[in-house]
This record gives sequence, structure tokens and C-alpha cells, in this order.
Amino acid sequence: MLTKRDYAAVAFLTIITVFLMFSMLLIHPFGSPNASAMDQYIIDNTVEETGANNGVTSVVFDYRGFDTLGEATVLFTAVAGVIMIFRRLKK
Amino acid sequence: MNGMTKIVKTIAGISFPFIVIYGLYVIAHGHLTPGGGFQGGAVVASGLALILVAYGSKWAATKIKEHDLSLLESVGAIGFITVAFFGILFGGVFFSNFIVGTDLLFGGIPLAGAADINTGGTLPLMNFAVGLKVIAGLFGIVFIMALAISKKEESA
Amino acid sequence: MILEAIHIILPILIIISAGIAILLKDLLASAVAVAAMSLLLSLEFYILQAPDVAIAEAGVGACLTTAILILAIKGTKRMEEEV
Repeated sequence: MLTKRDYAAVAFLTIITVFLMFSMLLIHPFGSPNASAMDQYIIDNTVEETGANNGVTSVVFDYRGFDTLGEATVLFTAVAGVIMIFRRLKK
Repeated sequence: MNGMTKIVKTIAGISFPFIVIYGLYVIAHGHLTPGGGFQGGAVVASGLALILVAYGSKWAATKIKEHDLSLLESVGAIGFITVAFFGILFGGVFFSNFIVGTDLLFGGIPLAGAADINTGGTLPLMNFAVGLKVIAGLFGIVFIMALAISKKEESA
Repeated sequence: MILEAIHIILPILIIISAGIAILLKDLLASAVAVAAMSLLLSLEFYILQAPDVAIAEAGVGACLTTAILILAIKGTKRMEEEV
């Protein structure tokens, strides 16, 4: 019943599971980051530098503005692609 | 694609204003409370998709054109880039927060522990631009797919 | 204590609904199972104190993805075929 392909899939999934188990045992505890110097700088200075109470938005739009620019580009490309494909079907 | 029954239309009509107002609140208070342009825009686009599914794409095509949606998305993208380039002009670097600390709109700095909507510098402007872009973009995807499928059903 | 119980129960429910979405042959029911998975995932993000991600996941994952999937099913076939 089981083909060679099924055995290969089971072996592959077993290897992946073992690796994930080992990396899960080595993960650091929840809520205690390894390096927190950058986080502490943002927590201390975000209100004076950006004037925003919400630190996450100040990181997204001010400290890491280039990431948001890339995200906006991705969304624009996705919408342009969808409209290009479906405009032909619409007519 | 035709509309659904009268029950669905009534319930969608009742819950639509609350969804849109919550989404606009998330966009406008992006620099004070959790959320921002993308999250609020996704909520508003969800409400618009609910209306589209409940009333059918034929009814929706009489209210709005796909050209307007792509125009709104371009306006949002250009506004975002323009605010970022004004940072070079007035603040020296790209994405510089040049409004904060001045007497302009959104120029205030909040006191400790207090929340004021007139703060944040360029963050609220960028939130509005990204919110407009996300509303138009995500609703435009659903809208043009619905139009294409209704055309396909008619021809079949 | 209750929070730890929720932290254990919610991922199990997420995995169960994801498995249901794979196993069902009716693609419309499968899309609804994916929406339920997204809703539970946004609840899990909220418990992990990430309300930004929770709002985005609830809006995009539970509503817009379901609408797009249902429109795609309407344009193609509803039942999955045996290969």
C-alpha cells in the first residue's frame, strides 16, 4: 500500500521534527531577549524624539521607515499584478 | 454575482458603520493606541468586502469604479513618499521627523503618562497615507476579482 | 493558571482546525476552517501581548483571505477531485 514516496516523506518529516525539537529545547525563555540595548534606547527616547506614545508605530514609521516603504511597494506590486491579470477577464 | 437575501443585507447594513468607524479610529489613533495605517486599513477593507458580498458586485459596480480605487491607492503611495522626501528638505535625512517639536499640526510632545492626539510629528500623516493605500489596495483586489467572476458567470 | 491552560489549549485548537482544512474535500468548508484558524491565531497573538499583529491578522486573515478564497472557489470548482 505504502509507496517509496510515502516512506521518503515520513523520513524527511522525522528528520525535520528532530531538528525542531533540539532547537525548541535551546530557545531562550519567553519575555527575556538576548540583546536589549537597542530596545532600551527606543523605550527611553521614543517620546522625546518622535512625540508618539505608541512605541511600535514610532519604530514602524520613523526608526525603521524603510521597512514600511518596502511593505508599501510589495502591496502596490500585488495590487498591480492582480488588476493586470483580472482586467482581461473582466471584458 | 447577485446579492444575498434581505436578512444578510439588513445585518450587513447595520454592522457596516461600526466596522468602518472602528477602522478609522485605529488609523487616526495610530500613534497613541495599538494599530496603525495597515491594521486600520485592513479593518475598513473588511467592512467594504462585507458590503460587496452582501449586496453583490453588480450593485457595487454602479457605486464605485475600479479606476477610482487604483487612483486612491496611487494617492496614498505618493503621499507617503512625499512626507518621507520632505524629511530630506526640512530635517536633513530621509524619513526625518521634522514636524515634532514645532508649532505645526501634530507638532506637540506628550507629557509623561498623558495621551494627546496633537502629537507624533509625521507619524499621523504617514498613517493616513498608508491607511488610504491599504483600504484602496485590499478592497480593489476583492472588487476586481468579484467583477471578473460575475462576467465569467454571465458568459457561461 | 487559567492563562497557562489557554496557552496550551489554543495552539491545539489551531492545529486541529488546520488539519480539518487539509482533510475536507469540500473546498468551501475548507475555506471556513482556514478562517476559524486565523481567528484563533489572532486570539493567540492577543494573549501573547501583540495587539497590532492581532488586529492585522483578524482583518486580513479571517475576513479578506476568506473572501478571496470564496471568490476563487466560485470561479472554479467546489469539490476537490481524487487524483
